[in-house]
Amino acid sequence: MPSMASPLSGIHLPSAASAASTKSAFAPVTRRSLLSPTRSLISKRTIRLMAVYSAPTSPEGISEKVSESIKKAEETCEGDPKSGECAAAWDEVEELSAAASHARDRAKSSSDPLENYCKDNPETKECRTYED
Amino acid sequence: MAVCTAYTSPSLHSPYPISNSSKSHHHFILSTSCRSNRRKLRGEISCSSETNTVVIGLAADSGCGKSTFMRRLTSVFGGAAEPPKGGNPDSNTLISDTTTVICLDDYHSLDRTGRKEKGVTALDPKANDFDLMYQQVKALKEGKAVEKPIYNHVSGLLDPPELIKPPKILVIEGLHPMYDGRVRDLLDFSIYLDISNEVKFAWKIQRDMAERGHSLESIKASIEARKPDFDAYIDPQKQYADCVIEVLPTQLIPDDNEGKVLRVKLVMKEGVKYFSPVYLFDEGSTISWIPCGRKLTCSYPGIKFFYGPDSYFDHEVSVLEMDGQFDRLDELIYVESHLSSLSTKFYGEVTQQMLKHADFPGSNNGTGLFQTIVGLKIRDLFEQIITEKSATPAVVSKV
Repeated sequence: MPSMASPLSGIHLPSAASAASTKSAFAPVTRRSLLSPTRSLISKRTIRLMAVYSAPTSPEGISEKVSESIKKAEETCEGDPKSGECAAAWDEVEELSAAASHARDRAKSSSDPLENYCKDNPETKECRTYED
Repeated sequence: MAVCTAYTSPSLHSPYPISNSSKSHHHFILSTSCRSNRRKLRGEISCSSETNTVVIGLAADSGCGKSTFMRRLTSVFGGAAEPPKGGNPDSNTLISDTTTVICLDDYHSLDRTGRKEKGVTALDPKANDFDLMYQQVKALKEGKAVEKPIYNHVSGLLDPPELIKPPKILVIEGLHPMYDGRVRDLLDFSIYLDISNEVKFAWKIQRDMAERGHSLESIKASIEARKPDFDAYIDPQKQYADCVIEVLPTQLIPDDNEGKVLRVKLVMKEGVKYFSPVYLFDEGSTISWIPCGRKLTCSYPGIKFFYGPDSYFDHEVSVLEMDGQFDRLDELIYVESHLSSLSTKFYGEVTQQMLKHADFPGSNNGTGLFQTIVGLKIRDLFEQIITEKSATPAVVSKV
């Protein structure tokens, strides 16, 4: 969509290629779980087992916070499960779980700058894949 | 406040030649005015003109696919949306060439500790500052930059604010974009993602089971504890939406509760300016369609479409429904070729977008299809608004 993408008044617009090179120069190298690419292929029954292995993919701090918040919510709700405090405690669990999930996605997507670039520019030369 | 006209002579400002292939390009030349917001921008001049900021609202509960929708939407608009460069790494904002997406959690008035002390959830309006939300969305719509707070989802604290410049398209996404009447009136288009309880549960299991400490019980407890506030403050907003995407369990597999195959409904309000609903075969008729048969072979459990007029909270609507999933490319192209008023720029654009993001959740079912279609409709709406607004100043200047 050239009409929407073109800047109107002197806004600097880096070309796709320069954006990609910036990314590859500065993107942090993140450790990637060897198990994660195959996760979708594994049947539902093994999900519990997988949990043990895939947990470190989300940054340590958030994972800690999620499990702590669950414990706290369970304690808070013991007395009065209908109280505002109980709802607020479980809301905190939801908020942290979402944050952990976002962090996992971010870690996954920033792991390979070329992969990131090719996601948005699959038609470019450097992103073509060949089969023999 | 200075008002100037921006000339789009490519050599003047940009080191990159602007290819002038689009017909709508001329409208930009006529209409764009720059406003310098010296006070707020500390001398910088913002050149997104006030008349051009189109505001879109997207409402959904946490963990219900807002992020995926945003990625599809900004992709349709062109260019990937990324967090602001060099800013707070925990910023919730996404910026692309045309679009800025802000997360309404940034308008929490109570931080995590505050909510805990008062016993209120983030879903409760009491935990949110609607006055500030209204002021800032209004300012952005008028072409003024704002210093927006940042709610840090990791620490649960409000971080120092970030500068948001007025974009061409502003998307406000979160729990309450349509809750406050003043904010609602600023929206040019609104979408509500309505995820049924069964699907919400299945999605959260997928998201959280890998997380230490979570169990089926904790996931269920969290959904149930939040539900009263969700029903009271979030769910009612769907009556105001121009477009609702409902996600339900499939009817193709009897008693299916796996949540893998989905039935998705796109509810489109009639009579919304700049928005013409998508239809199947014949506008306004009621049609039930199974595309799989002699011409197209589908994989199990097949695909089923429905289209027809209906009413939704006393509004006249058109409903397009898809049950099942695409397992092969020809299924997707076949379906696209039978839909009308898609607002695509070329044949196969929906399919192309779906393939481009095949790794996003829902790319093989109605959620991905309808999110892509809504993205195209919003692009169309934006272009119509720009065209119309740009025509006005041209006439005025002649007089």
